Amino acid sequence: MNVRRGLPRNAFILMMLAPTTVLLLGVTLFPFITALVMSFTNYSLIRPDELAWIGFGNYANLLGSTEFWQALRVTAVFTIVAVAVQMVLGAAIALLLHYETRRSAWLRIIYLLPMAITPVAATFTFRMMFNPSLGVINHMFKAVGLPPQDWLGSPSTALFSLLVVDTWQWTPFIMLIAVGGLAAMDDEPLEASQMDGASFWQTLGHHVLPMLTPYLAFALVFRSIDAFKTFDIIFVLTGGGPGTLTRTLNLLTYKHGIEFLAMGYAAAISIVMLIIAIVASQIFLRRLKLLQPRQARI
Amino acid sequence: MSGVTAIDIHARVRLYRTRSVVGDVLRRAGLAAFAVWCLFPVYWLIAMSLKPEREVMSRRPKIFFFEYQFGNYAEIILDPNTLSYFFNSTVVAVGSTALSLAIGVPSAYVIARYRFRGSSDFAFWILTTRMSPPVAVLIPFFVMYVTLGLSDTHVGLILAHVAVNLSIVVWLLRGFFEDLPYEMEEAAFMDGATYFQAFRHIALPLALPGIAAVGILSFLFSWNEFLFALVLADETVRTVPVGIYGFIGFQTIAWGNLSASAVLMIIPVVMFIFVFQRSLIRGLTLGAVK
Amino acid sequence: MKQYGPTQGNILGSINRRFLLKAAACITGAAAIGRVPAVWAATFDEVKDQYMSAGIDWRQAAGSRIQLAGLTHPWMETIRPLVPIFTNLTGIEVDVVEQSNTEYITEMPVKLAAKSASPDVYMVWAQGQAVSGGWLEPLSSFLADSSLHDAQWWDDDDNFPGARSFSVWSDGESYTRTITAEAQTLFVNRALLDAKGQSIPGTFDELRATAAALNDGDVSGIAMRGKATGDAVAWPAGGYVFSHGGGILGLDGAVAMDSPEAIAGVDIYARTLREGGPLGVANYHWLEALNDFLQGATAFGCDSSNFATDISNPDKSQVADVATFAAFPKAPSGVSKPNMWHWLTGINRFSENKKAAWLFLMWATSKPTNLLGGAAGLATPRTTAWSSDAFKGAFGSEAAEAALANLANTDGDIMKATWFHPQAGQVLDAFAIAVNEAITEAKDTESALKAAAETARRALGQ
Repeated sequence: MNVRRGLPRNAFILMMLAPTTVLLLGVTLFPFITALVMSFTNYSLIRPDELAWIGFGNYANLLGSTEFWQALRVTAVFTIVAVAVQMVLGAAIALLLHYETRRSAWLRIIYLLPMAITPVAATFTFRMMFNPSLGVINHMFKAVGLPPQDWLGSPSTALFSLLVVDTWQWTPFIMLIAVGGLAAMDDEPLEASQMDGASFWQTLGHHVLPMLTPYLAFALVFRSIDAFKTFDIIFVLTGGGPGTLTRTLNLLTYKHGIEFLAMGYAAAISIVMLIIAIVASQIFLRRLKLLQPRQARI
Repeated sequence: MSGVTAIDIHARVRLYRTRSVVGDVLRRAGLAAFAVWCLFPVYWLIAMSLKPEREVMSRRPKIFFFEYQFGNYAEIILDPNTLSYFFNSTVVAVGSTALSLAIGVPSAYVIARYRFRGSSDFAFWILTTRMSPPVAVLIPFFVMYVTLGLSDTHVGLILAHVAVNLSIVVWLLRGFFEDLPYEMEEAAFMDGATYFQAFRHIALPLALPGIAAVGILSFLFSWNEFLFALVLADETVRTVPVGIYGFIGFQTIAWGNLSASAVLMIIPVVMFIFVFQRSLIRGLTLGAVK
Repeated sequence: MKQYGPTQGNILGSINRRFLLKAAACITGAAAIGRVPAVWAATFDEVKDQYMSAGIDWRQAAGSRIQLAGLTHPWMETIRPLVPIFTNLTGIEVDVVEQSNTEYITEMPVKLAAKSASPDVYMVWAQGQAVSGGWLEPLSSFLADSSLHDAQWWDDDDNFPGARSFSVWSDGESYTRTITAEAQTLFVNRALLDAKGQSIPGTFDELRATAAALNDGDVSGIAMRGKATGDAVAWPAGGYVFSHGGGILGLDGAVAMDSPEAIAGVDIYARTLREGGPLGVANYHWLEALNDFLQGATAFGCDSSNFATDISNPDKSQVADVATFAAFPKAPSGVSKPNMWHWLTGINRFSENKKAAWLFLMWATSKPTNLLGGAAGLATPRTTAWSSDAFKGAFGSEAAEAALANLANTDGDIMKATWFHPQAGQVLDAFAIAVNEAITEAKDTESALKAAAETARRALGQ
């Protein structure tokens, strides 16, 4: 491509990328390097004077501990189930909404409310609603003759209850991205296929979903990254209990870093989480061939 | 210019009119059910803000027709802190959204459209900035901010939120830019447009729905962000989520004040979404104008 | 130097009753509206003499500005409206920063570890961590300096013995001053007991049996903390362990939570909640436990004596008339060792206004300030405040009596062995998870505690 005026191609690329690079490097580089270095030390806020380099000591302790593997399992189950449910629900709602023309503006706002409410207030509202003796959920259960449940305290329902809250809060995220994707979608092939007599499901499967896939894939990546780090709803609703059944990796990081002040160890957990996230998203993005831009033409 | 068609909204309506009545009913029922699901906790929050304190904690919660009062709202609105929390949150959320978009959109475009060495690694690096859990970086972050004089400033918190949200802006918009038909830019180049003009006058307007969606997300993430707002800001830049947490008392939770502030806090968000989502729709018909 | 009359009789002679009542109203009013009442300016003169009798120059740091940080706690709510008195007295401005418990314990370690100069004075949530981390200024140099401290006026002997021992660290140095006194106390909803002809139990097993008998699905027998976090279930379960002769950590610092005594204590705690507790008690923090009691939804509560302030307050409590306060139950051996707590404040090691910070600390923990705080219902650590009628009126004299009796039974050494350990966080977290597992029967008590003890030993390198 010959462009005659303006900046040369490479200078243009540089100019467009520079602000992002500078800001991200400026803000995240120092904290990240520090955390990385910290993870190889016994840095504890309780004993700052005994700071020493311990190599992979933290990592060895971590990987040799049962609490890590248990937390990893809880985190994996939570992330996979939460994201799967939210993807299906969010995409479905976005499609339904796409076909709704009259009330869509209001519905979109209603659907975004769970994300718009301060998580602190939302989670405390859920804590109130889940309360076994005062909560409205058990109240309604009793009204229809069902036995009241110990939603957050019982080993059989605690994780489920957390998944309900997470799904309530974050399905709108998937929905919003899918709505944006559908809005940007080129409707012509869709119309053509309908004219040719294709059924709704055929159109959906052959045209809509393939076009939506990259958006949904990106939504999935970000939702998974965030779900993997879920902290506040678990912290407020169960604190990791009953026992350690809802203790996720990020909760473990908070416990070791902020409550036990073992920052070196907490940093090691963070780095391990980072590595897991990098590996998982690399595999996923490569599988779907989304790591390379699909349309790099210039 | 085959790809960019005038998307006639009426054509779509026509399409659906042809579908079965049963499908229509089911679709409406699904939308309504999801609305109820989304709204019930919100309704409960509003109900808590209107109930007198002893009703909030009642063992037989009244779902409808409860005794209501506006005392909590009066208290919140009259509290001078509330105004400053709202002001801070608005400045930080709007500022960080604007900045994220201003620097994220160009990067997303270049990554989507241009072939250059290391482009996928660069994109992935941006993605990784969202991956590491924040606890481990809190102390270095705090030290860095104090050293640079950024702690407890609006600019400081805006920068931190931009760093958190930039990945989402770049990656999602990359998807939107990739889906734009390349032919229009190509034609523009033929007509002698510069690289920048092709971006500014062709790609950018077409990507508006995506930018709107991403802008809303970025705003919401910043508006609700808690941990950095807690540690990097103090009295001067205290935001609403941090302020609301203050109602979690030592022995009791001030449910009335907590829920009233949370409800009031929804209003600016809804306004913001309303403004932005107009471009979500407008984007649809832009092709027709071209 | 003017001599301040020590504890001779009723201090109300010098701070008159009318003033105290007015003060109480001001503090409560201020707490409600979050602002400082203007009436202080007028009443200041009435109380000023009490402070002026100290043999130090209060105005030696006039013009400086300090920051006080704390969590949303009755002490902060009480001290905030009193701050204008301090400013008027000393010419030192005080910015009061109040945060919720979670925010506070999240932000403070980050700030202090980064050697932040603010806050100057702060509530110490974990003395072991703070001393070990070097975040507290040693107070001995202030205490020794007669231009900064009038020991006779301040009168340490007026503090409860437990309160005195809390503010002396194991190295003999003082890093903190004590600001509250609380002991584990049994709260009883007499109406619910009377309705079923039950009497107030004296032993743990009687409490369990009575609670079980009263637990009828609508109203529960007893509500105590059950949540699996170190700041929740560990404290009340601690009193059960101590009374049975056990410890969480022993006096020698070794992990002791899997000793037969500790197992016996946790076992009866868990059984009591299983048989007499409400649905979901395993996720109860003190908020839920207190709320159930305030709502008349449970017959017994067993937690900090401080909750009396809320229980006796008819605005917050449905049971203000029928609640009574009783001794912490006894173990089969006849021993009752309720758990205890004294909140502490200290000076930031990196503060740039240490002199002003010290003056504030001394002022805030002085007799007159505590008397004013006591009048608002705050359970201070001072005998004079506890014996004042104004305090008894606000706190409830029955509650005050029960709290005093329970305080006298506490064993500070065994509780400090755990709660003052620098790694108390890990130990209490492991212990709390075990107690929670015993309540939900995820494990039997013994194997839960054995596993927790292993975790704690690994954390402490034992």
